[in-house]
Amino acid sequence: NGGVYGQPAGGAYNQPAGGAYNQGGAYNQPAAGAYGQPAQQSAYPQGAGVGAGAAYGQPAATPLNQLYSTDLLKELPPPIADLQFPPPPIILPPATTTTASDDSNSDFNYFRSTLNVVPSTSGLLKKCKLPFAIVVRPYVSLHDTDDPVPVVSDCVIARCRRCRAYINPFIHFTENGRRWRCNFCGLLNDVPSAFDFNQVTSAQMNRLERNELNHGVVEFVAPPEYMVRPPQPIVYVFVLDVCKFSIQNGLLATVTRTILETLDRIPNNTGRARVAFLAVDSGISYFAIPRDDEKDKETQMMIVSDTEETLIPSPEGILVNLKESRQNVEKLLGSLPDYFAHSLSTDSALGPALKSAHSLISHIGGKIEVFTSTLPNVGIGKLTVRDENSVSGKPKEASALLTPNSSFYKSFAVECNKSQVTVDMFLTGSSYQDVATLSNLPRFTAGQTHFYPAWSANSVEDITKLSKEVSNHLSMDIGLEAVLRVRGSNGLRMHSFFGNFFNRSSDLCSFPTFPRDQSYVIEVSIEDYISKPTIYFQAAVLHTTCFGERRIRVMTLALPTSKDLKDIYASADQLAIVNYFTHKAIEKALSSSLNDARDYLLKSVVDILTVYKKEIVPGNLGSSSPLQICTNLRMLPLLLQALSKNIAFRVGRVPSDHRAAALNKLGSLPLPYLARAIYPTVYSLHTMTDDCGLPYDGEDDPYDIPPKKHGEIVLPEANNASCMNLARYGLYLINNSSELFLYVGGDAVPQLVEDVFGVQSLGEVKIGKTDLPELENEFNTRVRNIISKVREAVDTIEYLNLYVVVGPASNENATNTALSRDVIPLRIWCMSDMVEDRATSNLSYKEYLGQLREKISS
Amino acid sequence: MQAQFEDYEDLTGLRFPWNSFPANKQEEKRCVIPVSCLYQPLRPKTTPVVVQIPPSACRNCRAILSPCCGVDPNTGTWACPFCNTRNQLPPSEPAGQLPYAVSPEAQDIEYVVPPPETQNPPIFMYVVDTCFGDDDEFKALTDSILVSLSMLPPDALVGFITFGRHVNVYEVGIQDFQSFYCFNGARKYTQAEISWNLELTGSNASRLGVTRFVQQHAICEFNLTALVESLQRDSFPTEKYHRRTLATGCAVNVAVSLLSQTFPKTGARILLFSGGPCTQGPGKIVGTPLKEPLRSHHDIEHDSKVEKQYKESSQFYQKLSQTAAGNGHSIDIFIGAYDQVGLSEMEALADKTGGVIVQSDSFSSAIFKRSLQKFLSPDEATGMISFGLNATMQVKVTRNLRIRGAIGHLTSLNNKNSSVTDKKPIGVSGTDSWKLGAVWSHSAYSFFFEIAENTPQADFSAIQFITTYQHPDGTRRIHVTTTQRPTAPAGSADLITNFDQEVAAVVAAREAVWKSVADVTNQPADAVRSLDRVLIDLCQHFASYRTNDATSFSLPPTLNLFPQFMYHLRRSPFVQVFNSSPDETSYYRHCFLAEDSTNSLIMIQPTLTSYELDKEPEPVVLDSTSLKPERILLLDTFFHILIYHGAVVAEWKRLGYQDQSDYAYFKEFLEKPRLEAADILVDRFPLPRFIDTEEGGSQARFLMSRLSPSTSYRNAESMMNLATSGVGDGESGAVIMTDDVSLQTFMEYVKKAVVKPE
Ligand SMILES: [Zn+2]
Ligand SMILES: [Zn+2]
Repeated sequence: NGGVYGQPAGGAYNQPAGGAYNQGGAYNQPAAGAYGQPAQQSAYPQGAGVGAGAAYGQPAATPLNQLYSTDLLKELPPPIADLQFPPPPIILPPATTTTASDDSNSDFNYFRSTLNVVPSTSGLLKKCKLPFAIVVRPYVSLHDTDDPVPVVSDCVIARCRRCRAYINPFIHFTENGRRWRCNFCGLLNDVPSAFDFNQVTSAQMNRLERNELNHGVVEFVAPPEYMVRPPQPIVYVFVLDVCKFSIQNGLLATVTRTILETLDRIPNNTGRARVAFLAVDSGISYFAIPRDDEKDKETQMMIVSDTEETLIPSPEGILVNLKESRQNVEKLLGSLPDYFAHSLSTDSALGPALKSAHSLISHIGGKIEVFTSTLPNVGIGKLTVRDENSVSGKPKEASALLTPNSSFYKSFAVECNKSQVTVDMFLTGSSYQDVATLSNLPRFTAGQTHFYPAWSANSVEDITKLSKEVSNHLSMDIGLEAVLRVRGSNGLRMHSFFGNFFNRSSDLCSFPTFPRDQSYVIEVSIEDYISKPTIYFQAAVLHTTCFGERRIRVMTLALPTSKDLKDIYASADQLAIVNYFTHKAIEKALSSSLNDARDYLLKSVVDILTVYKKEIVPGNLGSSSPLQICTNLRMLPLLLQALSKNIAFRVGRVPSDHRAAALNKLGSLPLPYLARAIYPTVYSLHTMTDDCGLPYDGEDDPYDIPPKKHGEIVLPEANNASCMNLARYGLYLINNSSELFLYVGGDAVPQLVEDVFGVQSLGEVKIGKTDLPELENEFNTRVRNIISKVREAVDTIEYLNLYVVVGPASNENATNTALSRDVIPLRIWCMSDMVEDRATSNLSYKEYLGQLREKISS
Repeated sequence: MQAQFEDYEDLTGLRFPWNSFPANKQEEKRCVIPVSCLYQPLRPKTTPVVVQIPPSACRNCRAILSPCCGVDPNTGTWACPFCNTRNQLPPSEPAGQLPYAVSPEAQDIEYVVPPPETQNPPIFMYVVDTCFGDDDEFKALTDSILVSLSMLPPDALVGFITFGRHVNVYEVGIQDFQSFYCFNGARKYTQAEISWNLELTGSNASRLGVTRFVQQHAICEFNLTALVESLQRDSFPTEKYHRRTLATGCAVNVAVSLLSQTFPKTGARILLFSGGPCTQGPGKIVGTPLKEPLRSHHDIEHDSKVEKQYKESSQFYQKLSQTAAGNGHSIDIFIGAYDQVGLSEMEALADKTGGVIVQSDSFSSAIFKRSLQKFLSPDEATGMISFGLNATMQVKVTRNLRIRGAIGHLTSLNNKNSSVTDKKPIGVSGTDSWKLGAVWSHSAYSFFFEIAENTPQADFSAIQFITTYQHPDGTRRIHVTTTQRPTAPAGSADLITNFDQEVAAVVAAREAVWKSVADVTNQPADAVRSLDRVLIDLCQHFASYRTNDATSFSLPPTLNLFPQFMYHLRRSPFVQVFNSSPDETSYYRHCFLAEDSTNSLIMIQPTLTSYELDKEPEPVVLDSTSLKPERILLLDTFFHILIYHGAVVAEWKRLGYQDQSDYAYFKEFLEKPRLEAADILVDRFPLPRFIDTEEGGSQARFLMSRLSPSTSYRNAESMMNLATSGVGDGESGAVIMTDDVSLQTFMEYVKKAVVKPE
C-alpha cells in the first residue's frame, strides 16, 4: 500500500450548496466514514464562496457549511491528513463584496477566525463552548519578495470618519459613487476626489480596479500625517556575552562571525542602518567605531565596570552608520573574540547592559540583539538560580519557576516599548539561564527568545543552526514603529490579546519593530445582538518599512453570522481553535499551575463534546455511546491532548528553562508551525512512493494539499505519530518544528543502512545531532532532498537540527552494554514526539478518548 | 656674617635665623622669631659626600652616626647625642680607626642603600583633561604631552587617564587595540570600587593585572603615542550658557586609588592637566550654569553656601592628597586656563605630596610648554630625571630641644615621641617625621623648635635630618645632615650677632603664609598684624633707642634689612589677596612654600636692576624713585620677569635707533636686560611670565604695584592716616595700615611703635 490513506473510502461527500460553486472546490471535508477523497479534490481556493452566490443571482440567503458528525472512537488512528486542510470555507451572502473579486476576503494564512460562522448573540457563543478569536499573521514570509501584497501607492487612503476603518472590498458605493457606506459602522463617507485618478498615468481610472477594493490583504503607502516623526533608520544593538562560558562554548566567535557574514543581508538599501556592539561580563564594554574615512582613528574599547547606573562612555561613535563604518565594523567583528579570549569572568551584568543599549537608541528606537550563555547576576535585573528540585513536577512548579524572578524585565520591557525598542534573546547556556524571566523582555517588546540549550561550537551542527538562524533573523524585512489595531463590526469587542507585543490600549498593540515570523491571537466578545448576516474584522499594521517608507498593511475579513448552533459548529476552524487554546493554556500555566492548564485543556474538550452531544446530536444515544464531534473539528481532541503532552505542559520533571522556552515558543508560532509543534509530522521514508524526494514533474497545482509546484521536492504523506506505526525495519523522518529526527529501526536491512548512512551496519551509524553523508545512490539523495525541503522555508528563521536515532532491534538486550550511552535518551526524546502514545502518566490517544467518553456520559 | 651663613648653607643646605640658640625660655621669648631653620636636603654640593655603605644607627633612637657623636675608639663605641645611648661601632670599621661618619665632612652625607622590594622605577600617571572649547588648545596640550612622553626614562612606568564628563583609564599595556575603563564622573568611588571596576581585585580580576594600566614606557611607548595622537576632545554636548561637565575630582580619585592599590610605597607622580574647573562629582568647584560665578575670596568669606562647598571640596582633595602622600605618590598640577580651575581647593594635592603647580593661561603658552619640559628635563650631571621620589624626613634633636613642627610641602607621618611638643605647634606638627613625596634640589622645608623646659642648659644643641628617598638611579638614598648649634650665653649679644635676617624673613613669612593656607578665614589683615607684631617686638628687643624718641632708633647691622623685608612681604600676594583670585593666591603661596632661601627672598622682595647707557647694571631699591626716563629696569618677582623701558628709552626704541648701524651700542643696551632675563629663565621653574613694557604701558602696573610709593602724591595723605589712627593699642596692639604707604612712612611708624613705652 503505497498510498497514504489507509482508511476505507466511503460514499461521496455531500457537497454544501449543492454544487452552486463554480470554483469546483466545495468544502470537501469528508464526513464520518467518508474519508478518502483525494486531497486534490478537497482543495479549496482562497476566498472561495465570496460573492459566488451573487454570480448566480440567487436572492435567498446562502446556505452555510453543512454539519457532518464523526465518531472519534471509530476513527482510529485519527485521520491526520486533516491537519493539512484549509479551514471551512467562509460563505458570504450574495453581493457582499464591492467588486466580486475572488481575493476580497483575507487569505486564512494571514487572517482567520476560530469560527467561520459567527454566532449572532453572546448567549449563543457562550452556549457553543467554542472560543471566538481571530488569528492575525500580517506577514507570511521573512521577505517582501516572497510574499508580495498588493500596494496602494498613491497615498489616497479612504477611511470611515466615525470608526476609522479603512476602505475595503466590502464597502458599498452610493449616490452615484460619490459616497461609500462603511461596512463596519454603516456611516456614509465621501469618496476622496483623487480616488478615481491614476497619479502615474495622470488619467481617470476605474476605481473598481483599485487594490483596496479588490484584495482582502493590501498595503497602503501612508501620507506624512501617519508619521509621528520622520522614518527612523533600522538599528541593531548587539549585546554580546563575553563571560567565560560564552568564550568557552564558542558563542562569541560564532556570533561575531555570523554577524560579519550577515552584514550584507541586513536590510539596508537606503544605507541608513546603524549598529552598535556592547560586550558584557561583570561590566559593559562599548566600542567607539570610527567612520572608514577617519583614517587616523582606531576603534576603541570602552569598559564600564560600574554598572550601578547607566553610563555611556562617549556621546558619539558607539552607534554608527553601518555603511560609513563598514570596514571598521568588520575589523571589530573579526578581532572581538581575541579581545576577550582570556576572559575569566563568570559574572554577567546583562540588566545594566540592556539599560545601556536602550539608552543608546531610545531616541530612535531599534532592536537589541542579546547573545548570552550566562545567567545575569550583576546589577539591576540580576537573577539567581531557582531551586528546581523541590518544586519540579509539583503544583507550585509554574509559580516558582515559570514566572519572572525579577520585576525588572517586565518594567524595562514597557520602557523599551515606549521608546520603540525591541529586544531579542539568543540564549545558549549549558546551565540555568532563567528563560522564564528573560523571555519577558522579548515578549513585551515584540521580540523573540531563541533558546539553544547547551549550545557548543564544538558541534558543526550547532554552529550551522545558530549562524543560519541569526543570519535569517537579522535579514528579515522587519517593520519599525508599528502598531496593530484590530477593528470589528458594531457589537464586537476585541477583549484579549495574545502574542509578543505590548497592549497599549484597548485595541492597540504596540510593536517597536514588527517581526515576520510570529502570529497573534485576539479573543473577541459579542457585546450586542448581531442582526446583520455578515460581520467584519479589519486588522491594520501601521509601520515603517526598513527602507524608510510609512505603510499600513490592512487585512479585512468578512464572516457570515448565524443563530444556529449547528452552523457555528459546521464552520469552526479546529486549528485556529487550537491556537486560541494554546494561548489560554499558557496563560493558565503562568497564572495558576501546569496542572490547571492541562485540566483546562481537558475540560474544554469535554465541554465541546458535551455541547455537541446535548445540543447537536441529541437523538443519538445508542448503547455504543459514540463520541461524536463534527468532522471539521475531529482533530481538536487529539491536538489538545497532544498539546498537554508538549514539553510546555507535560506531566513530570522538565528543566524549567526548557519548559519556559517551549511555552514561549508555543505562544508566538504561526499556526502551521504550532500545529506541527503540537502534533509532529512523521514521514515514512522506506515506504514512500517513487515520486517522493524528487522534484515534482507535473504542472503547478495550487489547489492541492499541500499545493504542488513544478520542480519542488515532493514530500511523502504524513503518518500518525505513534510507535505502532514505526516498523522495526523502517526509516522515518519526524518534524516537530524544533528538531528533525531521522529514526531508523533496529532491524533495518543493511542495504538501507548503507544507502542512507554509507556504513555497513547499524552499529556504525553516527547517532545524535548530525547530518547525512552525501552518497552516490538515489535513496540517499531522496532522503536528503526531503530533509532539505523540510528545513527550507521562507517564513521562519529556524533551521532544524537533524538527530539520527536508532530504534531497538528485535534481538536487543536491554542490558546490552555495547549500547552507546546516548542511544536510550535519544530514543526517549524522539519517542516523546509520538504523541498518540501513552507515555509515563500521559494517556494514549485511545485511552484519552475513553476518558472523554466516560466524562461525557456521566 | 651673612657670607658665613651662606657658606654653611652650601655645605649643609641649612640656614638658621638664630645661629646661636637661646640659652633658656626667657631668652627664647626675646627672640620673637622662633628657633628654626630652612633646610634644603638635596641642595647641590660642590663636593657631595656619597658613600656606598649602609649607615650605622643608634640602637635606641635610630639616629645616624655623625660628627656630633662622641666616639670612643678604645671601646669601639659611640654615644648617641640625641638619646645618650652607647652603641657599638660597626664591625666593618678597622679597629682603632674612627669611622668616616664622624669626620667633619660627614655632617652632610648620603648613604646609598639597596631599594626595598616595594620600590619600582618612577611611575608617571597622566591625568588629562579633554574638555576643551576648541581643537587648537587641545592639540597644544596633546602635543606637549607627546613631547613629555618622549622625555620619560625608558624604564619608567606610565599610566594614562583622561577626564571630561567621565573618567577614562586607558589600558596602555594592551598591545592589540585601544581600550579604556570608563568611570562615572559624578560618583565618589571608594578605592575598593575602583580596583574592582578596573578588574584588579575580586571575582572578575583580570589575569593581566595592573600592567594593563601602568606599563613600562619602553614597552607601551608605541601604543601610548598612537593613543595620544588620536585622542579626541570630550564630545559630550554642553548646554547653552553652561560650563562643560568636568570631573576633575573623580579623575584624581581614580588615579590616586589606582596607584595606592597597585603601587603603594614607591615613587610616583600623578600629572594632572587641568583646563577648567571641576563641575560635577566629588571635588566640584562650581556648577555648570554660567550664571553661577566662580568663587572669589570675598565669596568664600561671606557666602556660607560657597564656603560650605569650598570646604567640602577642599576636604575631598585633602583626603586624596593624604592617601597619595602616604604611599609616596606626588601630584603635579598643570593648569592651562585663563580663568580659575579650583586650584585653591586642590592645592593640597600638590602641597602635601611634594608636587608642583604650573599655572598658565593656556596650554599653548610657552610657560606651560617649557615648564613641562623643564619638569622632565634630565639633570645635566647625571642625565637622569632631576628629582627624588617617595621621600621621608626624620628630625632628631638633642634633649634641650623640642620639635614644634614643619612648614613646606610635606605631610605628617604622625610619629610622636618625647622630642615632639604639642605646645605652640607650628605648621605640620605633632611628629618628628614627615612624608615629603617628590624632592628637587631646590626644595626647602622649614622646621621649628623650642627650648625644652626644665632641662639643664646645654653648651650646644644638635639636630639631625634624615631624608630617605628614591633616587632616579633606582637606588634608595639616605641623606643625613647633622648640625650643631652653640648656645648663646643668656644676655649676651651672641644671639643678634649670629642672626640671619634673610632666612629669618623667610621663616617668618612661611609662618604667616602657612596660617593663611591652613585657615582660609584667616584675613590678610590678621597676617599683616602678626607680621607687624614680629617686627616691632624684634626691634624692641634688639634695636637701640630711647623711649619716646623715634630719632634715636637704630638697628644692629644683622637686623638692618629685616624691616624692609617685612614691608615688602606684607604687600606681597602671599599676604594680600586683593586683586588676586583664590587660585592665584594659592599658586603664589604654593610656590613660596616650596623654594629655597634665594628664591624665597626674591619672592619676598623682588630684585630690581637698573640699566643705563654707559653704566654697569646695578641693583636699585624697589622704590618709585628708581623710575627714570633714560633707564631700563629689570624686575624679577620670581613669577614675573619684567623689562621696563623708561620714556626716553622707549621713544628711541620706537624711532628704531637700534636698527641703525651707528647705534649698535643702543641695540646692545636694549639686549642686555633681555640676556639677563634669559639667564634667569634657564633655572627657574615654573617658567615665569615674561613682560616687556615701557613707561605708561598697560603691563607696567606689575612693576608699579611692587615699588614702594615714596614719591606718590598719596604719601602725605597716608601720613595723615597714620597720625590719626596708626598707633595700635592693647592686645591687638599692632598696626593696621589700610593704605599703601611707602617704605619710609612704614619705617617711621615702626620706629614710633617701638619706642613707645611699654
Ligand atoms: Zn465606520
Ligand atoms: Zn639615640
